[in-house]
Amino acid sequence: MSGRRVFVTGLGLVSPHGEDPAKVFDQVCRGESAIRMVRSGTPELGADVLLATVDFEPGDRIANADRHFMARAAQMAVVATRNALVDADLLVDGRGPEEARVSIGCGLGGSEIFQQTYRTYFEKRSRRTRPRTVPLIMASGPASQVCMQFGIRGQANTYSVACASASVAIGEGFRAIRDGYCDVVVSGGAEAMLNDGTVAAWEAVGVIAREHADGAAASCRPFDLHRTGLVLGEGAATLILESEQRAAARGAEPIAEIVGFGASSDAFRLTEPSVEGQERAMRNALEDAGLGAEAVGYINAHATGTPAGDPVEIEAVKRVFGAASRQVAISSTKSMHGHLVGASGALECAITAMALRERRLPPTAHLTAPDPECDLDCVAGVGREAPDLEVALSNSFAFGGSNATLALRRA
Amino acid sequence: MSAYVFLAETLSGTYDVDPDAIHPQATLADLGLDSLTVVELLFDVEDELGITIPEGVTFQTLAEAAALMDDLVRNKGT
Repeated sequence: MSGRRVFVTGLGLVSPHGEDPAKVFDQVCRGESAIRMVRSGTPELGADVLLATVDFEPGDRIANADRHFMARAAQMAVVATRNALVDADLLVDGRGPEEARVSIGCGLGGSEIFQQTYRTYFEKRSRRTRPRTVPLIMASGPASQVCMQFGIRGQANTYSVACASASVAIGEGFRAIRDGYCDVVVSGGAEAMLNDGTVAAWEAVGVIAREHADGAAASCRPFDLHRTGLVLGEGAATLILESEQRAAARGAEPIAEIVGFGASSDAFRLTEPSVEGQERAMRNALEDAGLGAEAVGYINAHATGTPAGDPVEIEAVKRVFGAASRQVAISSTKSMHGHLVGASGALECAITAMALRERRLPPTAHLTAPDPECDLDCVAGVGREAPDLEVALSNSFAFGGSNATLALRRA
Repeated sequence: MSAYVFLAETLSGTYDVDPDAIHPQATLADLGLDSLTVVELLFDVEDELGITIPEGVTFQTLAEAAALMDDLVRNKGT
């Protein structure tokens, strides 16, 4: 669909690999994993769990009094947004563009606050929970706090679409600019749900990786024959989106262009993916961008490393790309930063934007024995240069069968 | 710890109120606290001093609030 062009003009990260986008991208291209074994839970019920945690310290970037009223995910969203506004040269006296829209994805909101509240209720047998509980658990907390911290007064939307949350948030932000509703959007995602109750629930689903003989860091192995599951991560990523006109008027240097967004629903099963649904999301994104599949040089895959999920995505790529599926490079950076759930689409879109700018592809780390069912070019082990790279896709496919694909072009 | 000392320390330590603005005759409104912060502050006080501030009780200044809280501490369990 034609409309106004939309550029990414700033990136801000709070990721398992750190906050500096260039350093994060370099580490990811070298195949360095941020996954480690972490002791999670109470002393009696604790367990060693593979996680990609963030060593997060907002410091003086969030006032004490404000931090008191923010869950971890909201704090991460605020710091990632501060980083992105600085990167875009849009932070003036601590304020962002007043007219901006905010479009943020978040799966579970303040899930650690839920846990504290349940502890009070069931362990202390007390109905006395903190008044701030309600505004802290809201999934919309990150978006609201971004508005308050930076004086942003446009529409603030939260998209809660499980693992596709951030991709939908970026996609809808892209559409809002393209279709003329606004000129600048603070978009992205935030997720911080690595508290013990939530981690235990994820373990029960049966999709969490086991520690690999090569070490904890090498345990998430998408597309590998010996993959055992996903590794949960946390963090936030913010992308500043601007209309071509606004970016040009202030001389902003674009990092990449967003050219298409496609979404679909499987209407199939709650946790099992569908080739057909994923295929439609990618086709919709390409149609939205007015591009053929042969234009795409790289796909940042959703691939989480579960035995069931990865081959479905590869099959969907084959259906969309046909003969061109042999030419496209596909990698899952979740092998290194884990699955950030509601934030994953934002971190991966940021990595995809940098891949286009640097013309360098991040790998699927630890991919040593490719699954015959995943027999496309999955950029095994370490990254590589991609001198002709022009267009890339970033896929996010969620529990519940919600699929989202973003299409990006080199700026 | 007296209620006043705890109030003053919490106001500056947790809620970033300027210590120079905190004095016995200051009201919570003077200090610029929003309604949610006031309720949180009262929860802080109740948890720290082990008291329950009765519903409907009103006070204006920090000194009045502290006097009420000190009374509740003295009358605990009686």
